[in-house]
Amino acid sequence: MKIIQISAIWCSSCLVMQKIWNHVKDAFPEIEWCKMDLDFDSEEVSKYQVGDKIPVLIFEKNGEECSRLIGEKKEEEVMLWIKQNLEN
Amino acid sequence: MTYLDYSATTPVNDEVIESYVRACKNFIGNPNSLHRLGIEANSLMKEATEQIASLLGVKSSEIIYTSGSSESNNTAIKGIAFQYQNRGKHIITTELEHSSVIAPLQYLVSLGFEVDFVPLDSDGKVNLEALKKLLRNDTILVSIGSVSSELGILQPIEEIAQLLKSYPKCFFHVDMTQSIGKVKLSLENIDLISFSAHKFYGMKGIGVLVKKEPIMLEPLIHGGKSTTIFRSGTPALALIVSLAKALRLAFQNMESNQIHELNRYLRNELEKIEPIHINSPETAIPHILNFSVPGIKPETLQHSLEEKDIFISTQTACSKGGPSSAVMALTHNESYATSSVRVSISYLTTKEEISYFVKMLIEAIERLQLHG
Repeated sequence: MKIIQISAIWCSSCLVMQKIWNHVKDAFPEIEWCKMDLDFDSEEVSKYQVGDKIPVLIFEKNGEECSRLIGEKKEEEVMLWIKQNLEN
Repeated sequence: MTYLDYSATTPVNDEVIESYVRACKNFIGNPNSLHRLGIEANSLMKEATEQIASLLGVKSSEIIYTSGSSESNNTAIKGIAFQYQNRGKHIITTELEHSSVIAPLQYLVSLGFEVDFVPLDSDGKVNLEALKKLLRNDTILVSIGSVSSELGILQPIEEIAQLLKSYPKCFFHVDMTQSIGKVKLSLENIDLISFSAHKFYGMKGIGVLVKKEPIMLEPLIHGGKSTTIFRSGTPALALIVSLAKALRLAFQNMESNQIHELNRYLRNELEKIEPIHINSPETAIPHILNFSVPGIKPETLQHSLEEKDIFISTQTACSKGGPSSAVMALTHNESYATSSVRVSISYLTTKEEISYFVKMLIEAIERLQLHG
């Protein structure tokens, strides 16, 4: 299981989410967390077709995308999203 | 041409260009050189610096020249963080800040610093009580822009500065890029102030960081003492002279009612156009009016108006596509955040230009709604 985090250094919403992501990462150590920067990793990011909607989290199981979570979210929402993806 | 993007940059004033050319031609020496030409150049630089300091009400020794606000913001934020990290690693800012504030903060977070965002009131102003609650013993910096570039929200800087007086270990940095020459603000009780000349009819490539004494900063550029130990490099004398000129002219022209009247006229006209939602609160500075046209991509609207020789902005010139974090933070509405555009006016703007813009905007919206 893997979460791909796509963010950018200039994006304030990404900075807002950073603290929440850190908590979430600690709560789910079994999930691999892969961070990509919209500009610095543009080639890899282009595979995910996020357009310009960041921050985005993409949940992957066995290399297949299950769902994505876009924009600023509360910690409970991110936790719930992960739990739902784990259960499905 | 109808230029309505003065908050992105302004045309350079003729007198400013003349002062730049004169300094280039007549003062060829390096202000750091010890021969006569250097001494003459240094003397002119000191004179210009004294003028700038006097206009701002600070000491000459507190002026640091930079390439512009992005460098000033980076120097202030990283400089304080690295210099005072033994005191703490906690920094407070807002979601309305420019990318040149957000990006160094992201960088600092990657090095172990912690950043909190202060909640905003419904008009986008910093909630002072919320700020007070966020302040901790290890807070070393509060960085808040006086006017948000996208929305024109004017923050209660003097009240924040007053509050922070009770926290002597915490420095207060204000990005004044969008307020210098537009709004009168006291620099008292503010530790660091950033601004750029090209926002007030000066030239691109020169900015200032005011750093009050005796604050120390870890410099970004190491290279020994130039005009200051905090930013090395040969002083850009002609740009410095032109900045002094631009600042003086901006301060002289600040008291114009014309911009208030034009903003009121534009606001009234936009309110009549059905799909439009005005994002800039009534308390925003009159120079900036941000609005959304839900259902129409800002870039499409921008290009459609460009065909009529009208130039407006989608977000700020320094950010990049996507939903606007600032509009989202203020309106909590994704539809508004993905369809916002900014009109920014100046004392050069005329009522005829605004009328033409409104007429073309209505036409563009009708056309784009019809054809998608």
